Amino acid sequence: MKQRHIWTLLVILVVASLLVTACAKATPTPTPTPVPPTPTPKPPTPTPVPPTPTPQPPAAKLVIWADENRAPIMEEIAKAFTEKYGVEVEVQQVGFGDIRDQFKVAAPAGEGPDIIIGAHDWLGELVVNGLLAPVDLGAKKEKFLPSALQAFTYNSQLYGMPYLTENVAFFYNPDLVPEAPKTWTEVTKVAAELEKAGKVKQGYVLHQGDPYHFYPIMTAFGGYVFGKDKDGNYNPQDLGIDSPGSIAAAKWLDMMVKEGHLKPDVDWDTAHTMFEQGDAAMIITGPWALKRIRESGVHYKIAEIPDETADGHPFSGVHGFMISAFSENKLLAQTFLTEFVATEENMWKLFNADPRPSAFLPVREKIDDPDIAAFGLAGKNADPMPAIPEMSKVWEAWGNAITLIFQQQEDPETAFKNAAEQIRQAIAGGQ
Amino acid sequence: MRRRTQTQQGFTYSLSAILFRLFGLAVIDAFALWILPQMIHDRVWYLVVLLVVITLGINIIFLKEEYYPLRWMSPGLALMILMVVYPLVFTVYTAFTNYSDGHILTKQQVIQVLSQRLYLPEGGESYRWTAYRSEDGRYALWLVAPDGRTFVAFPGEPIQPADPGQGDIGPADEQGTPTHIRDLRRLDRIQVIRYLPDLEKLEFGTPPHVLKIRSLDEAAALQPRYVYDPQQDAIVDQQTGKVYRADDRRGSFVAEDGEALTPGYQVFIGAANFQRLFRSPALRGPFLKVFLWTILFAAGTVLTTFALGLFLALVYNDPSIRGRKVIRSFLIVPYTVPSFISILVWRGLMNPHIGVINTTLEKFIGWAPPWFSSPTWAKIGVLLVNLWLGYPYMMLISTGALQAIPEDLYEAAEIDGAGMWQKFWTITLPLLLVSVGPLLISSFAFNFNNWNVIYLFNRGGPPMPGTPTPVGHTDILVTYTYRLAFASGGGGDYGYASAITIIIFLIVATITYFQFRYTRMWEEISENV
Repeated sequence: MKQRHIWTLLVILVVASLLVTACAKATPTPTPTPVPPTPTPKPPTPTPVPPTPTPQPPAAKLVIWADENRAPIMEEIAKAFTEKYGVEVEVQQVGFGDIRDQFKVAAPAGEGPDIIIGAHDWLGELVVNGLLAPVDLGAKKEKFLPSALQAFTYNSQLYGMPYLTENVAFFYNPDLVPEAPKTWTEVTKVAAELEKAGKVKQGYVLHQGDPYHFYPIMTAFGGYVFGKDKDGNYNPQDLGIDSPGSIAAAKWLDMMVKEGHLKPDVDWDTAHTMFEQGDAAMIITGPWALKRIRESGVHYKIAEIPDETADGHPFSGVHGFMISAFSENKLLAQTFLTEFVATEENMWKLFNADPRPSAFLPVREKIDDPDIAAFGLAGKNADPMPAIPEMSKVWEAWGNAITLIFQQQEDPETAFKNAAEQIRQAIAGGQ
Repeated sequence: MRRRTQTQQGFTYSLSAILFRLFGLAVIDAFALWILPQMIHDRVWYLVVLLVVITLGINIIFLKEEYYPLRWMSPGLALMILMVVYPLVFTVYTAFTNYSDGHILTKQQVIQVLSQRLYLPEGGESYRWTAYRSEDGRYALWLVAPDGRTFVAFPGEPIQPADPGQGDIGPADEQGTPTHIRDLRRLDRIQVIRYLPDLEKLEFGTPPHVLKIRSLDEAAALQPRYVYDPQQDAIVDQQTGKVYRADDRRGSFVAEDGEALTPGYQVFIGAANFQRLFRSPALRGPFLKVFLWTILFAAGTVLTTFALGLFLALVYNDPSIRGRKVIRSFLIVPYTVPSFISILVWRGLMNPHIGVINTTLEKFIGWAPPWFSSPTWAKIGVLLVNLWLGYPYMMLISTGALQAIPEDLYEAAEIDGAGMWQKFWTITLPLLLVSVGPLLISSFAFNFNNWNVIYLFNRGGPPMPGTPTPVGHTDILVTYTYRLAFASGGGGDYGYASAITIIIFLIVATITYFQFRYTRMWEEISENV
């Protein structure tokens, strides 16, 4: 008897929970728009009361997806916006790595946010899927770093409002290297001398198989990933992984490994620990490592990327706000960004939450942190990381080629030529 | 049998039970009816069908006496349909579509997205605007043209030239903007933003002369750039006059000259994903190597983990060992730590520069295995880590199965003069395999697709040189699939990935089938023992 009831209850619970999960997937029914107040007959009061604007409950609401670094600040900004304009803004915290993927699922289902905070290299994927609405910054446009705006431009259309830029720079330990080397040949020489004198384990340290940190070296030797057309758009048909400059850089890397100046199987963490403990004198890294390097107490200076046959420069990443093509309130979302977020006060808040060079000029020009300023300098010629969808086919093959050189499994020219071949095939769709 | 009939009667004829059952059904049906319209509204047809099937099924099962036994199973059935059958069907369906980046929306959604794109036709006017609002929510705009002429615009009324103080328009303030229009009061900047959600949806004026708000400063005669023509199933670019016809085989709107509009939409493309897989150089190149290693990896893992697990189970099965329960509990620890943490810990331990294992070996024997750069050692490393992760499971199931082997068999063997090894090979192992065999097969199938270990340990590395697609020496089929469909293939090619998944399923199913046939052999042996 008793058992039977439990079973029935269980069935109900199971089915109910199933339906609830199904329900969670369905779009919430739109909240009924407030019914316009029916004209009530005027009370026969002798003095006509001036019609005071009645504060109506806000009909629209903006939803923002921000990562854990930005969410508390956005929460604060959103609250101030609601107080001033009476429009509700909800900030939902989503991990930075999840925003893009979840947005791709949620936006077409009509459940996505109005605004997402992300990186410019998501642009290609999101635009190709039709998920982003163009952004018009109006008069505020002049207050942004032009290269950051360029990074958020896809097919000559602006799709985001940038707020920070980031790029790697050349770190060196002034106790060991008195002056920043100007060329990579010089880096080799300094490294050899330091290692010979037994002052360090490795003069210059680079972790294995990471194309992003290898790119500055590649550009210094005249290499490139995708060529640009005259408007600065990347051309996926012009792949430069096997260009003479890129191969020259690969050969330099091969030489460094052969002569024992670079060692295989060093990962990002090990490389940084070596620099922080004074076991390595030079490293290329970004603002995200600044905190741990400062805390380690090691002496460091930040310089521009050394050159060789060409100007060595890193990739730049730009973070910004993007508006969903499925937002019901695109103009409101855009107004929130241009009128409220793009102010010196709020841009400083965003800067302080995560100190990297601001893309908002009034803030960028006043940053007094010398390290951040040095990063800005090292990134002055930076190439925006290609946002075209073809870029996703580049990373793995390119990284494998670098690993193969580190591990001395293949000669540099063959490795890079084969990587280029793999990428071309993947872009052509053959795989 | 007799007992069941009794209980059945006892339940069936209790009035309160019937009422309770009916009430339960009513709740479920009410819930289903409540949620169905919403799901229909969202066009999630698969879920609609699923919900109807499940609800009808539950009703039939609980109302018809002859389905009585099914009532016990109905929660399991409902869960199975939703959690197992539905994803399977969906995967198979996806394998036959072009669902991938650039084609994630439906055709209707693409038309909706495209028709939202506006443009300002050549010679189209743009104005600076001020908004007015009545108490009951009507809006008007005061417009200033670039040449200084001023207008009043209402939604659905022709746009009229107007001057402040004229007719029902209020007097101008210092900036020359009227304070009110009819009974509508001027909105300041703060109020404008509050009412922006209304304003941005309104069209002021009458066709063909319609204005829309473009930004906080500007209203313009914006026109939709792309208009869908249902008659020729095409999208017409109003700016250039170009016609993009729907190509339902490709899932894009394509113009005569081959230019396709983005985004494209999802379509059914038949077996194209499978054709692409079989034509791909990925199959010609390293596929065989990857396949062989996958089998070696799965079989090797099952063998090593089972051997170690069984050994430990036998050792600690001996009651004369003191504290064996404590030791056994400690041995199970690897099973309780989430694998994605322990794999990363192992990765650190085996690091050639700072890993404890390698630095210690380096110190004592002057050499340590290059776990991450030598293809052979990388494979051994993966197997070792998986051994650590997997042996507790084997130890647990072996310990359980050992209890089921009757003691008298051993006694009889001892009387016949059998030694320890003989007892193990002729009694313990065959009898153990009868009960553990199916678990070994499922372990094989699991490890065949053990993405976690490979990807977290070394991402399939070290890379193989000279291959047509990027691939590593420890890549198994699943990680290889992942590389093909997501990492190097193009961001997110779900249709293609589903097609590969189906092929992998067929491979695993075939292997498993033969393994099951093989294990029947053990049953025969056990019958003879």
